[in-house]
Amino acid sequence: MQFKMENLSKSTPLLSILILVLCLCNAIPSTAFDSASTSTMHTNNWAVLVCTSRFWFNYRHMANTLSLYRTVKRLGIPDERIILMLADDMACNARNKYPAQVFNNENHRLNLYGDNVEVDYRGYEVTVENFLRVLTGRHETAVPRSKRLLSDEGSHILLYMTGHGGDEFLKFQDSEELQSHDLADAVKQMKEKRRFKELLIMVDTCQAATLFSQLQSPGVLAIGSSKKAENSYSHHLDSDVGVSVVDRFTFYTLAFFERLNMYDNASLSSLFNSYNPNMLMSTAYYRTDLYQRQLEEVPVTNFFGSVMETILTDSPYQAFSGRYSSKSKIEKPLDQTSREKQRTLESADVPQESSDSNMGNEQVSCPFTRTWNTIRGRMEKMKDIDCLVNYGLILMPPIVAFSSWLSR
Amino acid sequence: MSRLKFSILFFLVLFVASESRAEEEKVAELKEEFNEALLLRPLPDRKVLAHFHFHSSAPPTRTYGRHHYLFPKSIYQLVHKFQVREMELSFTQGRWNYERWGGFEPISSSYAKPPGVELWAEFDVPHHQVDDSWKNLTHALSGLFCASINFLEHSTSYSTPQWSFRSFSGKLRYGTLPREAVCTENLTPWLKLLPCRDKAGLSSLMDRPSIYRGYYHSQRLHLKSDEFDTSNMSTGIVLEQTLTVVLQPNTFSEKISQPSWSLSSLFGRKVSGKCSLSHSSNLYVQFEQNLLSKVNELWGKSEASKNEILINESVQNNPLFELSLPPKRVIKEVENLQKEGSILFEFSIDNYDESDPFDLGLKWKLPVVWSCRQAPLRASRFLLGSGNERGAIALSMKSTRSNNIERAGFDEKECWLRVGIFQVVPWYVKVYYHTLEVFLDGELQSTMDNIEKIHVSPSEDKVSPGVMEIVLRLPCSVKTAALTLEFDKGFLHIDEYPPDANQGFDIPSAVVCFGDFLTSMTFDDNSLQNIPILSKLQENTPVISYTEVLLVPLTTPDFSMPYNVITITCTVFALYFGSLLNALRRRAGEEERLLKAKAAKKTGPLTLMLSRLSAKLRGKPWEPPQQSSSTRSSINYKLIVKVALVAGIGVAWHYYFQ
Repeated sequence: MQFKMENLSKSTPLLSILILVLCLCNAIPSTAFDSASTSTMHTNNWAVLVCTSRFWFNYRHMANTLSLYRTVKRLGIPDERIILMLADDMACNARNKYPAQVFNNENHRLNLYGDNVEVDYRGYEVTVENFLRVLTGRHETAVPRSKRLLSDEGSHILLYMTGHGGDEFLKFQDSEELQSHDLADAVKQMKEKRRFKELLIMVDTCQAATLFSQLQSPGVLAIGSSKKAENSYSHHLDSDVGVSVVDRFTFYTLAFFERLNMYDNASLSSLFNSYNPNMLMSTAYYRTDLYQRQLEEVPVTNFFGSVMETILTDSPYQAFSGRYSSKSKIEKPLDQTSREKQRTLESADVPQESSDSNMGNEQVSCPFTRTWNTIRGRMEKMKDIDCLVNYGLILMPPIVAFSSWLSR
Repeated sequence: MSRLKFSILFFLVLFVASESRAEEEKVAELKEEFNEALLLRPLPDRKVLAHFHFHSSAPPTRTYGRHHYLFPKSIYQLVHKFQVREMELSFTQGRWNYERWGGFEPISSSYAKPPGVELWAEFDVPHHQVDDSWKNLTHALSGLFCASINFLEHSTSYSTPQWSFRSFSGKLRYGTLPREAVCTENLTPWLKLLPCRDKAGLSSLMDRPSIYRGYYHSQRLHLKSDEFDTSNMSTGIVLEQTLTVVLQPNTFSEKISQPSWSLSSLFGRKVSGKCSLSHSSNLYVQFEQNLLSKVNELWGKSEASKNEILINESVQNNPLFELSLPPKRVIKEVENLQKEGSILFEFSIDNYDESDPFDLGLKWKLPVVWSCRQAPLRASRFLLGSGNERGAIALSMKSTRSNNIERAGFDEKECWLRVGIFQVVPWYVKVYYHTLEVFLDGELQSTMDNIEKIHVSPSEDKVSPGVMEIVLRLPCSVKTAALTLEFDKGFLHIDEYPPDANQGFDIPSAVVCFGDFLTSMTFDDNSLQNIPILSKLQENTPVISYTEVLLVPLTTPDFSMPYNVITITCTVFALYFGSLLNALRRRAGEEERLLKAKAAKKTGPLTLMLSRLSAKLRGKPWEPPQQSSSTRSSINYKLIVKVALVAGIGVAWHYYFQ
């Protein structure tokens, strides 16, 4: 047995050197990347609201979407940053007793289809293809700006979808399906193209949770109205309109938001905790393992409202150039020093954010990678890596000496 | 010498001054202008027509520059980017009832539109660029007006009329989307083009629910620009926005009489003052000539005093109706031989404000029944045949007898009635144009006798729609005329079917144009030319009517069929090959031997070790399998040998290195 131990100890120096070298190789580029991604501030908010159902009896899906539309507009996202997709025309439908009006409650107190609705995609335009084009930004050149999701790496995007779904799919217009793989691919592509900083996907369909199963991209938070093998039910029927007017999940989401205004600090976890499975008649599902920050610390207005953060600067236009630092680097390389200053200022502004995102990156399932990432994370937190490397080099000779002595 | 110099200088200064003043005058002439007007007219079937008319104009860029105060920037950019010479976009819901609401008057021929979206545009670009401009324009408009106008970009959905539709230039493109929904989201961006939006002026009447409750609403945008003309006479861009609504006043009066109404009962709102940016904002109430002649009959007044009662006593002691406010002035149409003039009451809303809103009411005193003037022929279109394979389109035209009145001066033999028909058919309805048949009064005619001019461009599968342009020449005495065309129904690719394919497919409205008949109103007063709505009404426009949209049911595939086919084929293949392979490969004798051998074989040492390991991991005491002790001892022996071997190798290794 003793020999064996010796054998093992003999190989340790070699191994440790290898690991160290690997670690160094890995750490340098990854730290560079991380610093780039965390330096982007949350600068703007977008919302993509999709109703995928056609036909009059799916009135409630349109009412769901319009209710969310009204909510995000009320909380400060402007119309040009909302992509609204409605698969059918309910407001001016011949069957609608109340022309140009859509209600989500039988008390008819609130007309969701007010005077200022901007529908970007409607009718036959609401297809899986167009939906994926909006997300990934691959449009024909002629497509107008109002139909594009012009988000950037500082964007928080709310993606709300409602319709009829099943195990890992969502039906579009009763003729096509969006599969969970398609959604995951699109989100992955968005992440690679730096089209969002954080993404909240909210889905109100049957078996909504299954739609998230393929998601892998960091920074994505997902809420579904029901788990696998559960249905999502409508809330109540309006006998005047003749159909159900709202779904349960959306109804209770709205009930939560109606109490809020633009300046409230209610956190995402309070939203998530507000869902009562007994009231929903299904279990709301949250997927948080891809999301870096603590839900208790994230206000709902980060997704459902719009940021209007003011940055104080010494001279005009500084903030602008700082925010889009990668662009300005190309344009005017002489402006180096001021930009550097800007960047440090920004990172000082959001220290909590950057540390959080480091933490969040490591929430991976494999235990080895997890520990590996914690080591890496700790290394990154150190003041300078050069110092660490020097320590490592100094530490190496004693280890080698010790092991050779042991084996003698 | 110095005096001469001085005088020259003096003249120079004078000259410059005079020129600059002239230029100033010119600039003053060229101003952006915005006008708003609303025309209300009672209709024979107890409804009310409301026609909003907004007119904005911008002087040409060459003299005025690019900055505008009133003219919408988005439209200006549209015109410049795509070099639009003329464009008309209309969003319509409902069908204009030519029989009851009139078919021979400026409003029905210019402002009655087919259901859905109709867009035509003429460009000022070389011929080969027209299609590109059209495609980009459709996308831009779809973004601007929240509609799926971009579906018109496909070459299957637009056409190039040669001569029957407005222009001869060949740079005009025409497309319709009959099933496009029209709702608030289309009206709002349209209103945003107005300088006052819907916050002030006449547009503040546009309460969405009451407008969309109407029987017909058509929102239209017409654009005319001569920005790209080189001549100095250009007038810039003229934008005309109209909204034509037919509303039912909700009153509880008895059925016979006309319902009384007011602005607030029609729209649920009142006008609180004019849009202060508008040059003029007027409201007109029009009474048709047929209505007036009915009144005259009723009262048996002499010809001379005709209409006089209405004009002079319009406010107080009018026998027929009562207007709640005194009109600013009364405009009377000039009468000619056949036509009796209609009357317009003009109201100005300049002097009203929030505290004293403008609310005009009309109260009928007597029940009155009248009918509108009709176009010479009333066109309707329908489908013939049954089944999913073939069918026929029929376009029937019935005489309304008004052509005889119009053309009374002509000799009966010489009298011909020219009817232009412009029809676009999508490619999946494959029309055989050689089967065109013309029936006059129920009798089949030789086609060439009655066709003055014809142009047909057959459809090309998945490339272009079929277009037919005809000018028919019919005798004036004709009672009914009918055209039939046979077609085959095509098949679409499974991806090309819309989600609600079972509903059927639309054939857009045909345009029927009576080129010889012009509608216009003529007024005595030349000053009325300054008011855009009145000058528009005075324009000579040919009588145009649109036919119904046809709904053609096409064979729709079973959309789940591919999946069914795939699953059933796979099952069949699996069954077939599985059983075949089984039959071929099976060797009964060998199998039996194999089974025996398996029974005889003892459990190996490796499996035993694995089971022991798993038991240890699970934390349970290891239970040896039911085996004879001799086998177990042999296993132990082998294991010890193996461990010893490994240890020996280890020791040897160590010593070797030392």
